[in-house]
Amino acid sequence: MPAGRLPGARLGRCALDAAAGLAYALLLAAPLAVLAYSLSPTAALEIPPTGVSLKWYAGLLDQPRLLSGLATSVLLGLLATAGSLLLGVAAALGLTRAALPGREAVLAFLLSPLSLPGLVLGVGLLTAVSLAARATGVQLAGTLAPLLAAHLVITLPWVVRSVAATLESADPALEEQARSLGAGPVAALFLVTLPGARAGILAGAVFAFVVSFGNFALSLFLVSGRTITLPVAIFETVDRYQNPTAAAISTVAILLTAGAALLADRLSGVLTTPPGRPRAGAPAGGR
Amino acid sequence: MRTERRERERRRIGALLLLPALLAVAAFAAAPIGVLVRLSLFEPGPLAPLEGPASLASFAALAESPYPAVALRTLRLAGLTTLFTALLGFPAALVLSRSRGAWRSAQLLIVVSPLLMSIVVRAYGWMLLLGRQGFLGGLREAVGLPRAGLLHTETAVLLALVESFLPFMILALTASLDRIDPRLVEAARSLGASPFRAFSRVTLPLALPGLVAGASFVMVGGLSAYATPALLGGAATRTLVLEIYELVAVTFDWPTAAAASLALLAAASALVAAGALASRRRTAAWFGA
Repeated sequence: MPAGRLPGARLGRCALDAAAGLAYALLLAAPLAVLAYSLSPTAALEIPPTGVSLKWYAGLLDQPRLLSGLATSVLLGLLATAGSLLLGVAAALGLTRAALPGREAVLAFLLSPLSLPGLVLGVGLLTAVSLAARATGVQLAGTLAPLLAAHLVITLPWVVRSVAATLESADPALEEQARSLGAGPVAALFLVTLPGARAGILAGAVFAFVVSFGNFALSLFLVSGRTITLPVAIFETVDRYQNPTAAAISTVAILLTAGAALLADRLSGVLTTPPGRPRAGAPAGGR
Repeated sequence: MRTERRERERRRIGALLLLPALLAVAAFAAAPIGVLVRLSLFEPGPLAPLEGPASLASFAALAESPYPAVALRTLRLAGLTTLFTALLGFPAALVLSRSRGAWRSAQLLIVVSPLLMSIVVRAYGWMLLLGRQGFLGGLREAVGLPRAGLLHTETAVLLALVESFLPFMILALTASLDRIDPRLVEAARSLGASPFRAFSRVTLPLALPGLVAGASFVMVGGLSAYATPALLGGAATRTLVLEIYELVAVTFDWPTAAAASLALLAAASALVAAGALASRRRTAAWFGA
């Protein structure tokens, strides 16, 4: 590299690496602090640490609110992911496979919940639910329904974006060949198009689950005593206890999502290949 | 004839496939915003009764203390968050886009992993790091300084916001940088441009769409953040979203809460639109189109 020979360029490169290192250190600091505190043998944080203990993890069994939050968040995440996969894959097919007028506007509308402040949408949904109860007598407040509706619209953009990107880069000739070899439209969809978009669908599913599982501001107004989500329960716990209970449940949550994401990465390189990029083995985007 | 009919058939199926998703966004995102518009037209005040003729009094209430100062602080925090994520994210994205193989994967994992964590968990991590009883306080005591922390300051909120949104900025910039042909930079260098000049005249303009996309996402996120200022801030760092929460859950002044929500939404939408426009203009200008 000619740049490496000049002392100025080398200095510039060192400064660049240092700044990047600082960024990475910043990104790792908070989760490492949570992990370290969750293993503290004492309620007070000791510097330097005096030992390692798993008692706060064992103590989680006596925290019904946190455990029910974990169960609700897993259930909500799975339901929201399933729902937005169903709606999102269909929408992505509609967007990429038919030359519809106003495609850009439709896509912008489907992605718009991404730029809605979560708390604002939460206030709106809360009011809508109470208006609906007044008008029809159907009381949805306190059930999982408002939470599911909210999580559906904020996970949908991630599925649409990632699936549409993979479908766009797939070769339409493959589908046409399948059709000309006698496959019906449905068979071509399930045997050629969707398997080809597997990576995008899987990435969308992981994003959807992670976005739903970690959401806080949108859920804040929509949770009730029985349907509290884990981030809201952690938020309360952080205020209430001066001990590593919140750190322990947070670490459990981190391990759970990291496990799911790594599994998906094993299956199709979701994490280490940004969606929309061509990957090895995928049909090359022809023409 | 046959292809035309097939084309029409395709469009019909395409529209049908899009319909469920469009209905969901209309019912669960657009309609609630419509409800907020109606709500904002009621007479404001604590325990507002939500009846009577339409009025714009709730928007007028936003002009009174404390809202202008709170709005300004919210904008400043979001703006500084955007600035610092760009300043830190650009070097990281440059290093990332130049790396290959396992090293690149490792860096991507570091960048993506915070996104797998709830914003609450990350704000909690910063509470532990910056608290008087936390790592900072403990470290100060260990080296003989009096125990002190950084919590409930604007610095604490800003630090945590920058960390929370840094991954989005890095990913947006990396997506742009990865598309730049490395031969362009090499050509500029071999024609005598200094590394800095090659960066400012070749790399930076080509990375601009990513920078604008990342910046508008971070700006909107900074304006909308709730957990981070709620957990790390104090009375002097209250943001608009915290005030909206207070109006809804404590004073039950729903019309003013709705008006403040709509103001925030308008600011966020304007930023997104401006970002999209700027990015399109600048790219068009740079490529001479």
